Amino acid sequence: MIGVNMDFSFSEEQELFRKSVRGFCEKKLAPRAGEIDEKGEIPNDVLADMAGFGLLGMTISEKYGGSGADFTEASIAAEEIARADISMATAVYYLVEAGWGFLMERYGTAKAREEILPGVTNGKNFLGIASTEATGGSDIASISTTLEKKEGKLVVNGAKSFISGVREAEKYGGGYVTIVKTEQEPGHKGLSVCYLPVKDTPGINTSIFKQMGREGISTGAINITNVEIPEHYLIGEWNRGIHYAMEGFNCARTLVAAACIGAAEKALESGIEYIKERQAFGTPLAKFEGIQFQMADDYARLESARLLVYRAAWMLDQMYGKNRFSHGEINKAVACCKLVAPTTAFDIIRDVLTWYGAYGYTREAGLERGLRGVYSYIIGAEGAMNIMRIIIGKEILGKDFTPY
Amino acid sequence: MDIIVCIKQIYDLAQIKVDSASRRPVTEGVAKKLSDFDKNALEEAIRIREKHGGKVLAIIRGTKDAAKEVLAMGADEAVIYEIESDSLGTATFLAGMIQNMKYDLILCGEASIDEYSFQIGPRLAQALGIAVLTYARRIELKEGGIVGERDLENGYELAEAKLPALVTVTKDINEPRIPTLVQILGASKKKITETGHAKPESGVETLSIQAVEMKRKGIILKDIGELARVIISEK
Repeated sequence: MIGVNMDFSFSEEQELFRKSVRGFCEKKLAPRAGEIDEKGEIPNDVLADMAGFGLLGMTISEKYGGSGADFTEASIAAEEIARADISMATAVYYLVEAGWGFLMERYGTAKAREEILPGVTNGKNFLGIASTEATGGSDIASISTTLEKKEGKLVVNGAKSFISGVREAEKYGGGYVTIVKTEQEPGHKGLSVCYLPVKDTPGINTSIFKQMGREGISTGAINITNVEIPEHYLIGEWNRGIHYAMEGFNCARTLVAAACIGAAEKALESGIEYIKERQAFGTPLAKFEGIQFQMADDYARLESARLLVYRAAWMLDQMYGKNRFSHGEINKAVACCKLVAPTTAFDIIRDVLTWYGAYGYTREAGLERGLRGVYSYIIGAEGAMNIMRIIIGKEILGKDFTPY
Repeated sequence: MDIIVCIKQIYDLAQIKVDSASRRPVTEGVAKKLSDFDKNALEEAIRIREKHGGKVLAIIRGTKDAAKEVLAMGADEAVIYEIESDSLGTATFLAGMIQNMKYDLILCGEASIDEYSFQIGPRLAQALGIAVLTYARRIELKEGGIVGERDLENGYELAEAKLPALVTVTKDINEPRIPTLVQILGASKKKITETGHAKPESGVETLSIQAVEMKRKGIILKDIGELARVIISEK
């Protein structure tokens, strides 16, 4: 019985947690999903309820008010949150905090952790990631925002763009895990990571973009002019930022992929109910092979994406808990799920929307907001599709074949 | 204050489909859940313990899954059992289990939402020889006793009993909590006792369970006036 140790089922606790989060989201989040998309913000009471239920910064340990969730549990929550709000807005809020909060706790200084993390887990402050600049997000080596040491302080200069949660960080307080240049070395060398507070920080100016989707969370730019931050806001070691950034991206990307399949699952379930009921030419739509086969393909693709997501989450847990798997293996597994899940989710939501016909095209049906939201992850939030391909290529072929 | 809560795990009725040929409910692959009002009973027990201290023991007709959820919500200990019997048999079985236990209060849901017999609570109280307050939408402890606001069809009444007593609660009494991840993981060390499968004698034999047949009458009416006449005549 060689295969006896291979088990694809969730534990009883994981199943119960899924049931719990679903119950919570169906009650507190799903009824507000339309409002979140229309008004362009997640209402305060929803965030407070999420914090009370332990969903905000949930990978952060209990010491700082978090739930100490591992990535399997955090992925379950991401999936369920996106099921309830398929616009992805709430999922984005959740996953940047869960992904980058985890990194902050792992590599931030004790003083910074104590200052920042409790505000994240109690829902009072927002924590995001600021990596992308106006010149692009994929080419991380081209980052030009600098961090310098000056008289016992750190000084940041530059600008970050297309950053999630800028208005939230200004409104609620909080800030960003920020990737900065600390040495003018070529390539990925010379990058560091620091925490950049946003609210009431002298030298910070922000602006907000109008977006195509996931409108419940803002996206904007942060201009940074001679912003002084204390030395304990440096995250990890000077000039080793690329390693921390990759780790944070791996955590957040897994949760992104989990959220994508959650949104797709919800859409597909509603689509399946719809095609069984809706009749055309005297027959339920589900009886037409043109529809039924599409549904079967969608289901199979969703299941494959789901397996990739939970394998990546499980591998992260194995790495952090049991020291298994190299960073290279993790990079590849995470890139696979982040490559597959957004496109799969987009295609499925589009198919379901099409089955719904004219009703699918209405805002009332609630499917179009899923399509608009998920597309942000095809464009490249938390890593573009082609970057995922480069990561996979590099892990398979080796560094000698890296194109850039 | 030692409280016992009786809970039943049932099929999630919202997920049950009816086989069109046999009209039998299809339970294969249908998830199970805690019966709604029993969750209210559990929530009330936990609230009382939080306020007055003590212990909450849950006696659950169901599986280990159900026990884990109950413990995650906040019960201190769980006993699980399975039984094939009618309401009298089940209540008698429960009384047998409970009579040697130490307790001040027993809480039950007013009924299970699959069978709606409303019998387990009163029959259990009868078998144990203790007072029973049914359909409570609010309860309050007082020196050595309990006061319950009993929901009647056209109003409510206040009823008082000495402890130990049994109370059945309605859904209006509270909003059951949803366990968080920390609570779920924290509950994994709590004790679950399995008592096995009981099959006491039963006075009721279930021959079959079938869904009510739904058929349209297919009557086509000419106008509103005719519709009104039909409605009045069918009243």
